[in-house]
Amino acid sequence: MQKLTDRLDFFSDNALMLKVKGGDLDKMGLLFQRYHRPLYGFLFHMTKEKEASEDIVQNVFFRMLKYRHAFTGGEFKTWMYHVARNVLNDHFKRSGKTGGHYPVEVVEERIAGEQHADLPLEKKQELKALEAALQSLSAENRELLILSRWQELKYSEIARILDISEGAVKVRVHRALQLLRTNYLKMNL
Amino acid sequence: MSCVYDKEKLTALLAGELDAGERVLLEMHLETCPECQADLAGLREAWLLMGEVPAPEPSAAMEAGFQAILHNYSRENDTGESWWRRLATGSGRLWHLQPRLPLAFSIFLLLTGLGAGYFLNRGTHNNEAVAAGQVEQLTTQVREMKQAMMVNLLADPSASERIRGVSYTDGIGKVDRQVADALLTTLNNDPNVNVRLVTLEALVRFAQEPYVREGLIQSIAQQDSPLMQSAIADVMVKLMERRSVHSLQELLRKKDINEMVRQKIEQSIHRLI
Repeated sequence: MQKLTDRLDFFSDNALMLKVKGGDLDKMGLLFQRYHRPLYGFLFHMTKEKEASEDIVQNVFFRMLKYRHAFTGGEFKTWMYHVARNVLNDHFKRSGKTGGHYPVEVVEERIAGEQHADLPLEKKQELKALEAALQSLSAENRELLILSRWQELKYSEIARILDISEGAVKVRVHRALQLLRTNYLKMNL
Repeated sequence: MSCVYDKEKLTALLAGELDAGERVLLEMHLETCPECQADLAGLREAWLLMGEVPAPEPSAAMEAGFQAILHNYSRENDTGESWWRRLATGSGRLWHLQPRLPLAFSIFLLLTGLGAGYFLNRGTHNNEAVAAGQVEQLTTQVREMKQAMMVNLLADPSASERIRGVSYTDGIGKVDRQVADALLTTLNNDPNVNVRLVTLEALVRFAQEPYVREGLIQSIAQQDSPLMQSAIADVMVKLMERRSVHSLQELLRKKDINEMVRQKIEQSIHRLI
């Protein structure tokens, strides 16, 4: 069984998803193993809500399972982020949040003591300031930076996920990073 | 700010989006442009700092939760289950058809019943026709036999036998000429008044026959018994036979007529006129 799983790991995401579409639903378990961490990261950075992010991850994979026939054989990762962004929008609508700006004070409070327990105090401050700067960005800019930096997606992939041109991604990611830098400097004074 | 170099390339460099040629061109520019060097340093700081943010870790419950969802969903949807599902759907469709099946069965039964009934009935009709023919034949035979017996009995010397013969006319709806003649002869000539009275009663039942009626009228003048004269006068009144008035008047002219009968006949004539 382990050997079989190892062998299946060599299949591309798309091949696995096509198997799922063909009725081999258990293959979705492998795709989940591959992508649940990065997807959770994206959702957590977008929402800063642990439980909601976990629910959305499950929801995203369940939707892909349920609407497997809608998978056209394009790139699985792009499709997954498409689905994730839809579920995320539903979540924001339901919770009444826009996913947009959070007041800096709220953000600072929210991230205080989280995740950075083992780091030196100076680094903690820097990271706190960075996260505050990130949260002060618009949801669109924040999403671009998350996708590019943390999800390590190529501009071409981001372009497909956001349904914009690669050139536009190039311009927007740069502007978002500039803004982050500017806000970070303000936060870390 | 004076540098018009494409600053997006600085971020693209950090993101690893520049190919080798673009990277070389950018590095050449950076060597001569302090402004772009500073910008790149600032962007790199933010970029690298982002990289230091620990990746958020989901709880183990999330994966366990999804595997459970997947397991349940697969159980409902994998090929084995879908076979059951198809069976269930098929049965469901049968259930949906269910009201139509009894209807079809009812129509089938109705048509079968009608068909069977038609053939059976046709058979019965045939049988009935045969039976009716046979019955009619038998009836005719019985009537002919009765008539023959009656005619024979009327000639019998015993009065009671002659009365029995007359009584055979009870079952006869219609008399033929032969029977009517036999009865009228008995009415006019039988020596026994009781036989004549019974015969008169029997003939009254056939009074709608013109021949019988004519015979009854002519019989009036021939009766000499006051009982018969009185009875036949009653019959004429009952039949409202006006043609009998002449015969009754003739009867009145007979010199030996009973006074009571005379009065009766006069009343009858009065009622008939």
